[in-house]
Amino acid sequence: MTQQKPLIVAVAGNPNAGKSTLINAIAGSRLHVGNWPGVTVEKKEALFEVEGRAIRLVDLPGCYSLSPYSQEEIITRDYLVNQQPDLIVNVVDATNLERNLYLTIQLLELGIPMIMALNIYDEAVAKGYQIKTNQMEEVLGIAVVPTSATRKTGLDDLMKRVVSVAANLPAHRPRILNYGEDIETVLSGLKSHLAEQHAPLLEQYPHRWLLLKLLEGDALVLKAANVSADLLPLHLLEHLQRAHGDDIEGLMADQRYGLASGLSREVLHKPEKRSIELTERIDRVVLNRFLGIPIFAVAMWLLFKLTFDLSSPFSDWLDAMTNGPFKRWVTAILGGIGAPDWTVSLVNDGVIAGVGSVLVFVPVIFAMMFFITFLEGSGYMARAAFVMDRAMHSIGLHGKSFIPMLLGFGCNVPGIYATRTLENPKDKVLTALLIPLMSCGARLPVYVLFVGIFFPNNPGTVIWVLYILGMLLAVLMGYIFKKTLFRGEAPMFIMELPPYRMPSFTSLCLHTWEKGKHFLIKAGTYIFAVSVLVWFMLNLPWGVEHKRDSYLGRAGATIAPIFQPVGFGTWEAASALITGVIAKEIVVGTMGEIYAPAAEETATDQQPTLGEDLKEIVVSFGGAIKTAVSTVLYLPQQEEPEEEQSALKTALQGQFTPLTSFAFMAFVLLYMPCVVVGAAMRAEFGTWKWAGLAFAYSTVLAWLVALLVYQGGRFLGLGG
Amino acid sequence: MNLSNLKPGQQGTILKLDSSIGPIRRRLMDMGVIPGELIKVEKIAPMGDPIEVSVKGYNLSLRKGEAKGIEVQEVVA
Repeated sequence: MTQQKPLIVAVAGNPNAGKSTLINAIAGSRLHVGNWPGVTVEKKEALFEVEGRAIRLVDLPGCYSLSPYSQEEIITRDYLVNQQPDLIVNVVDATNLERNLYLTIQLLELGIPMIMALNIYDEAVAKGYQIKTNQMEEVLGIAVVPTSATRKTGLDDLMKRVVSVAANLPAHRPRILNYGEDIETVLSGLKSHLAEQHAPLLEQYPHRWLLLKLLEGDALVLKAANVSADLLPLHLLEHLQRAHGDDIEGLMADQRYGLASGLSREVLHKPEKRSIELTERIDRVVLNRFLGIPIFAVAMWLLFKLTFDLSSPFSDWLDAMTNGPFKRWVTAILGGIGAPDWTVSLVNDGVIAGVGSVLVFVPVIFAMMFFITFLEGSGYMARAAFVMDRAMHSIGLHGKSFIPMLLGFGCNVPGIYATRTLENPKDKVLTALLIPLMSCGARLPVYVLFVGIFFPNNPGTVIWVLYILGMLLAVLMGYIFKKTLFRGEAPMFIMELPPYRMPSFTSLCLHTWEKGKHFLIKAGTYIFAVSVLVWFMLNLPWGVEHKRDSYLGRAGATIAPIFQPVGFGTWEAASALITGVIAKEIVVGTMGEIYAPAAEETATDQQPTLGEDLKEIVVSFGGAIKTAVSTVLYLPQQEEPEEEQSALKTALQGQFTPLTSFAFMAFVLLYMPCVVVGAAMRAEFGTWKWAGLAFAYSTVLAWLVALLVYQGGRFLGLGG
Repeated sequence: MNLSNLKPGQQGTILKLDSSIGPIRRRLMDMGVIPGELIKVEKIAPMGDPIEVSVKGYNLSLRKGEAKGIEVQEVVA
């Protein structure tokens, strides 16, 4: 049996019908997450066995229709038409039957055997809905299985039905629904016309689907089949147009909805008295004219706080562990086998530091994915977009762009990942391109260092100005991109406001885990590679005494003239900026090394033993949990004293003036986002194109702004 | 009269979807916004745009600019 080719089961359904929860519940950890080729839409697959039958489950993007107007719809129908799965499982929201049946009816046109998972059935029952599933089976000619993905009921039943239908697929061709005499006449006329003139076309596509798409004048089908719109015999069309007017697409939508509402009226009995539903009551408050925005602000504050405060102790812990005990062990092992010094340095400062710089992002990605998935699954995300759309739309973005941009202030990387909540690919890319202008947490140490030296009287104001500068430039760049790259069709804001639902915890965790893993593997590789590369730049040629003679120093010296007009054309500043591409806070560390090389660290008199190390790992992990809990609960904590960096400060005072330091800070704010952001964009969009554009435009912008600051300041007599 | 003229709580029958709104038109029809259907304005967002409507038993939000393309006739409940 297992030798058999796996049964390909495509899962299709409306957004918010609980499709991904259902798939998570069925396939669990066997899910493999990737992207559909060439697009940013997620593709989930799972291979497993039911009753000895191998099944490959393919999750299709949620969509409302099979028309060619959104990426999700196009992927879904291309897959169904070209890959011809053995079976479709159509996930239908039982509480929203009519609109869901509209897609069901279109899926039936494909002639692929189908099973309906009548999902969210528990909620429909609780509302007092009575659904005659037998009658539905009869009318549609497919099996209908009530399910509840969140409660995990009906799922075994569903998979058993899949196996039993698969045993005899040809006997389960779905029924052909009658679209009314006028349309059917045209369809049969068109079919005989095709059989005479374009016979190969009929071989290529499901018959009824092809005929309907040709009738609708579906641009993509016409193009793919390489036929022109006038393929339709005119006399057939004229008859239809005389009876129903020019709008064939509208006629077809009307016809399909007519069938959907007829069927839903027949099989669904709703209680007479409709109680005021929970969703309605929540929305009265959450979308209230006066309370809507304050509630949104509180929700966003919570999201930000939970994401970053909860994760940062764990990031710190991971950082301390990789740089502490782990490095010590590796040094000990390498020393034990007599490896040369440079190998120890490469492994420690290149490889392990690289791994560490990937790991520190893991907690924040996990935390962000968890809360974003919760916001989406609960239904609040759509409300947040509803509340914010006016403001975001005025700068050319979508209401849902707000959250990724907000997260960008904590760290740009989770911000990039959060753009996946946007449906429209243009909105998604545009938002991701602007996120690097949000001043992230890693840039703060640079500001703090410089502001402390050059603006001791009003440090807060200067940092505030930098944040505002980033936001204003985001508005400006958004406008420019909108007018150049993203010209053309206006993105729409036609969005369902689904009922509030409590997402299942397992589904949340699974989703979070998938994303975290995706980040580790996909983005991790690039980050790691760049870290190792920078190590080589710092340490080659072998045995460099002075940083200025390393490849990094030489590279810094080479590009330094570029920074002459903006006020900091020194090899030191340029080198620090180069290392800042790993993470912007590294600028501070590199400056420390270059300007004020620490005296050779006095060898620590006592290396901790393995036992002590292990104890430290456990104890500090406990400490991380304690810190996470207490930050969230606002318990007082002991502040760690800041390290003294007086040598660096003195050196910087000799190199920078208040004006050039401000130009430098503005440059650090704006110049190319760190490599992690680039890797995240690469992982999310499947191409380097957008990451490359982000790197290029931001660096040019940074230079121009720094130039304006420096030259403008000099012109105003603020001193050079 | 178009959908953007209705106030929260008011409802109307959809008469026509303006062909000038382009692909949005098909999208709206796919979402159940088709002539003959009853549509009710539920809420207006705190900043005055977009609006929330109910149609075919579920809730949908759209911008006022999009609502302008939907011709309706008010139905007094």
